[in-house]
Amino acid sequence: MTYRIGIDIGGTFTDFALLKGGEVILHKNLSTPHDRSEGVMGGLATLAAGQGLSLGDFLAQCNAIVHGTTVADNTLIEMNGAVTGLLTTDGFRDEMEYRRGFKESIWDVRLEPPQPIVPRRRRLTVPERILADGSIHRELDEQAVRDACDKFRKQGVESIAIGLIFAHANGDHERRVAQIVAEEMPGVPVSLGHRILSRAPEYDRISTTVVNAYVAPRVNAYLERLVERLAQSGYPRQLMVMQASGGVMTRDYIAAAPIRVLASGPAGGVMASAHVGAAKGHSNLLCVDMGGTSYDMSVVIDGAAPAQAGWNMHHRYLVGVPMVQVETLGAGGGSICHVDKGELKVGPASAGSVPGPICYGGGGLQPTITDALLMLGILSTGEGFAGGSFRLRDEGVSEAFAAIGAQMGYGAEQAAFDCWRLVNANMTQAVRRTTAAKGIDPADMVMLAYGGNGPAFAAIQAQDLSIAHVLVPKASPTFSALGTLVAHPSIDEERSCTAPVDALDLDRLRLLWGELADNAKAHFTGAGFDAAAIQATWRLNMRYGGQNWALTFDMHESCGLDDLSFVDEDISARAITAFNARHMAEYGHIRDGELPEITGVRLAAHVATPMPPASGGFSAPMIEPAPAGHRRANLGTGFADVAIFKGPSLVPGARVAGPAIIEEIFTTIVVYPGWQAQVDDAGDYALVRLP
Amino acid sequence: MSFELNASLAARRAPLPTTASIDPVTANIIRGALETVCYEATTHLGRAASSPIINQSNERNAAIVDAHGRLAMGSIGTPHLTFVSQLTVRYGLMQQDHFDWGPGDVFVGNDPDHGGGHLPDYNVYAPVYDAAGDLVLIQALQAHQGDTGGKDPGGFTLDATDIFTEGLAIPCLKLVHRGEKRRDAIYLLERNNRFPSFAGDLAAMIGAVEKASASIRAILDKWGSDVVRAAVNQTIETSERQMRQLVSDWRDGSYEATVHIDHDTVGTKDVRVHVACTIAGDQLTVDLTGTDDRPDLVGVWNTFANSRGYIMTQIASTIDPDIVKNEGLFNAVEIILPEGCIAHPPPNKPAALGSFHPACEITEAVCVALSNVAPDRSAPQVYKIGMPNAVIGFDARGQMWMDQGVDCRSMDVSAVQGIDGWGSCPVALGNLLLSQAEDAESRFPVINISRELVTDSGGAGRWRGMPGSRNVKQILEPAIAMAWMVSHDHPISGLEGGEDGSPYLNHFQVGTPDEYRVELTARAQLPAGAVIAYQHGGGAGFAPALLRDPQAVCEDVLDELVSIDAARDRYGVVLTGSLADYSLAVDHAATAALRGERMAA
Repeated sequence: MTYRIGIDIGGTFTDFALLKGGEVILHKNLSTPHDRSEGVMGGLATLAAGQGLSLGDFLAQCNAIVHGTTVADNTLIEMNGAVTGLLTTDGFRDEMEYRRGFKESIWDVRLEPPQPIVPRRRRLTVPERILADGSIHRELDEQAVRDACDKFRKQGVESIAIGLIFAHANGDHERRVAQIVAEEMPGVPVSLGHRILSRAPEYDRISTTVVNAYVAPRVNAYLERLVERLAQSGYPRQLMVMQASGGVMTRDYIAAAPIRVLASGPAGGVMASAHVGAAKGHSNLLCVDMGGTSYDMSVVIDGAAPAQAGWNMHHRYLVGVPMVQVETLGAGGGSICHVDKGELKVGPASAGSVPGPICYGGGGLQPTITDALLMLGILSTGEGFAGGSFRLRDEGVSEAFAAIGAQMGYGAEQAAFDCWRLVNANMTQAVRRTTAAKGIDPADMVMLAYGGNGPAFAAIQAQDLSIAHVLVPKASPTFSALGTLVAHPSIDEERSCTAPVDALDLDRLRLLWGELADNAKAHFTGAGFDAAAIQATWRLNMRYGGQNWALTFDMHESCGLDDLSFVDEDISARAITAFNARHMAEYGHIRDGELPEITGVRLAAHVATPMPPASGGFSAPMIEPAPAGHRRANLGTGFADVAIFKGPSLVPGARVAGPAIIEEIFTTIVVYPGWQAQVDDAGDYALVRLP
Repeated sequence: MSFELNASLAARRAPLPTTASIDPVTANIIRGALETVCYEATTHLGRAASSPIINQSNERNAAIVDAHGRLAMGSIGTPHLTFVSQLTVRYGLMQQDHFDWGPGDVFVGNDPDHGGGHLPDYNVYAPVYDAAGDLVLIQALQAHQGDTGGKDPGGFTLDATDIFTEGLAIPCLKLVHRGEKRRDAIYLLERNNRFPSFAGDLAAMIGAVEKASASIRAILDKWGSDVVRAAVNQTIETSERQMRQLVSDWRDGSYEATVHIDHDTVGTKDVRVHVACTIAGDQLTVDLTGTDDRPDLVGVWNTFANSRGYIMTQIASTIDPDIVKNEGLFNAVEIILPEGCIAHPPPNKPAALGSFHPACEITEAVCVALSNVAPDRSAPQVYKIGMPNAVIGFDARGQMWMDQGVDCRSMDVSAVQGIDGWGSCPVALGNLLLSQAEDAESRFPVINISRELVTDSGGAGRWRGMPGSRNVKQILEPAIAMAWMVSHDHPISGLEGGEDGSPYLNHFQVGTPDEYRVELTARAQLPAGAVIAYQHGGGAGFAPALLRDPQAVCEDVLDELVSIDAARDRYGVVLTGSLADYSLAVDHAATAALRGERMAA
């Protein structure tokens, strides 16, 4: 028997998905924040025991361990990364401070600045200059680099970002600076702009490089420790790591640009969504993940969640590497309900898990959405909560909502109901904004809901968005771990190159794509994959002259990376056709008599690996189980006696008509009036709006 | 086109007629839906437009105006545009029968004498009718155009004596009639614009506003137009109530401020803006009586709609950021703009540069006056820059290019109580993304040599203003450079005893024997290789510099934001050790002694 293991570390739990042939075994244990690799090893030992194997034998039979980590995110949240220095071109010392003028609020004059990763004293410049065409306008002053290193040493700098102007057009100076730094400050890691993000403009590239330099030592140290522990325990292969692009890649590849793991956690869930959705015949998905503090939204189009490079603001820093687009709203079970200047508000502040909602009984005094769900009867005190780990309590909940109601001029139940309505509306608007930015109408999509609180709201939100079909997978509580098993090993990189589409230098295109191909091939073969098995998608970035945002689209697909024969005399014409189609789809118009320009070439390469099974269908005989009980609940249309079902007892074919509540082990699914839930052959829930 | 028209445009509007009653939560939900529509419209425009000023600088804004012409919802972009948008639409509304309004129509307006800001700000708007055929809301979208067809490319003419010098003035022009594009009208606009990218921008604006109208129509269908009317009424009333509540917490009294512009575009000195902000109970009155009204001033006329908008921009930054920005704010504030002064010009005055000055001095004066009652939220939401160095040339094919000079830089970021100035602009402008060297140099024959912060150029204060940047640029081919310099003699005002910001400076032909400082305006033909250097003004300080935490001054010196000399001379802080080896430390005894001496003096 061989195994594949997906591991995702969250704030509270470390989740495991073990793929054993066609079977998926899920496991959760507590995270170990002081050294997260401990929790990982502990969980692996439990899984091994479950298989009747020693840890060593178990790991020896593992074909792959795929890991999603939040170390980079935590480093930026806690701002405890490396003491970082930036070396940049003379004249450009302050780009990190300017942020291109961006501020997060246009109304709040008391907005605080982001905590600086590289304060001005650690932003040093060297005389040198490269121009747009890659030519050298001013030679590098090597002594200035050495002087800068001296200043960095005096300041105890531990990690250095090198971000020179137009380095993406010519990386010679950056490479030379790196050599000098290596001589002057041996052992200090360097991050080179043209390697971390090979694209214009300068702020995007330099900021990404600076953040990389800041998180790199922590991420690499963590992964190194984990790799060591795994090796000591008998794991013979490379550790694979989840990237924000939605692909996984070897630890060796990640080590060169650890920024790629930033924001990778949510990407796993999106990958799992695409996989599960496809198995059920749905290729356009709106994925919503509502947990304790946040509501994450993403979309899957034509079965894929395209990663976008560019203006990705994370933790107040611009990180331009390709990321699966996940938008976050501060709305979760812990979101606090309050009245501000006579208006009812929900969130964005959250009670978190400590003290938590009032009904957790952990000392929380402020009413939250979870408390509102309890008031509305959607949750109950009758059964164990969160996998049976504790029971909800209603002491103080009603009083808290009565206090809100007193300010609004009505009673406690109405207050709870309005909080429910409000958080619903907030989420609906957030979804609309997310899809608007992508030019998508949510009504054309199927909603896939996961996270502890997602399924409680899914159907009612779907209704607001004119969505008629909702999926709630049984595996949703460990969806991100499952996603790491779904994700393919992949490398997605680009090289900048600006030229009018009717005057392309084909040799240059071949050279740049060739560089990308060579790099990808080296990493894949290094990880033991067959070069012939590499699936390649060759892409172009294009825009009209003057546009700031380029569109990316596929030019060619191939198996293997050696054949560049698609770069032929015809490529301009094909590029224009493809660009026009995308521009029309995205913006509804194309410009008569104007030719676009290309701004870069991109290569997305991946190798297919075994997938966890997913299926759908409704071949099991339909049954209508009797409810396990009833309770008074308000599912949007006033309080009534509502049927309660126990999720674990519902078998494929089971059908539940709304209004009803299905209590799963880690989540609660609400079947709103006018909706019907059915368990499909795979044991997942399909919620359908009745005509 | 008269003071009377302005008065009727600005007159308070009644709530929308409705029989529906609505609870506050539902009203909020509908407000959120309308806000999202605005967001969708600007997002769509930003992604589809081709001019850098729209797609890169984000100088665009969406607003929803109701059937009575009230601002129902303003969304992202810049507050300066949000609060101007309703008057252009009101003019069209007043003519709706005359101009044959109907479902599926799209209009454009930009005329300063018909409710507009300045000519470059095109306001494209579409009325939305419900199933019964009643007009309920109007979706408006504003964006700054790269050109307006006047005497000079870009729409800013330094010697303009009337609006016609500056370009095409459009009171209200129909671009789409019942869903069909009016190609003749659109071609007229395209013809009156120098830049080929304009056609794409206009198409993007029409596309975005049509898309947004369809979304509004869906909201009307979902909730019913009577309920939506009730929601709009309630959100406007709520904002007015919250605003009045806040004003009633401010200390009653009349607070005055005077701010000067160095000169107009022909050199007339010390152009004056004067404001009195009077608080009586829950009523705030902003009165610009005493503001300059010399009829021969050139270039410094701010249109009526703009003056109102810029006053409101500052007020909005002074209040709780959670109060929803809509007509309720205008209902709560009385604005007095004397006829004939530079904040309320007679018809046909040029308007382009007025959106810089006196617009920003009006904003600044309101800030200085209100800092008496709301010091914790007072920071001027301005750009004290005159006109950046616009560089214009022709490429090999004879096509004109223009580098508008909206480069990355820091300017005018004043401190606010408790927080030093930071970033590159006041928050109100935080949506405008600045141009990058690698984009500009890929497009234009220029090299950005330097754009770093200048040590000691931030206004000193207990909380320090952000230093200004010096942007040095080389022009590789012969080109024309244009600029208008102000804020040298009168830089941005410090508050509560903080120092003023640092002056703006601009030099052409830098490093040659022909180097000169541009003191007033420039329209210079520069040879290939010429270097120009623009020093942006730093932000102002807040509260006396001698009260600044000495350790913070030491940190500033380590970051070379403040020099060792300035630490001593301006902050009264004595440092020991050396900057070169990062060993600086505060000499507390010497600092206390020096500060004691200074305070006694």
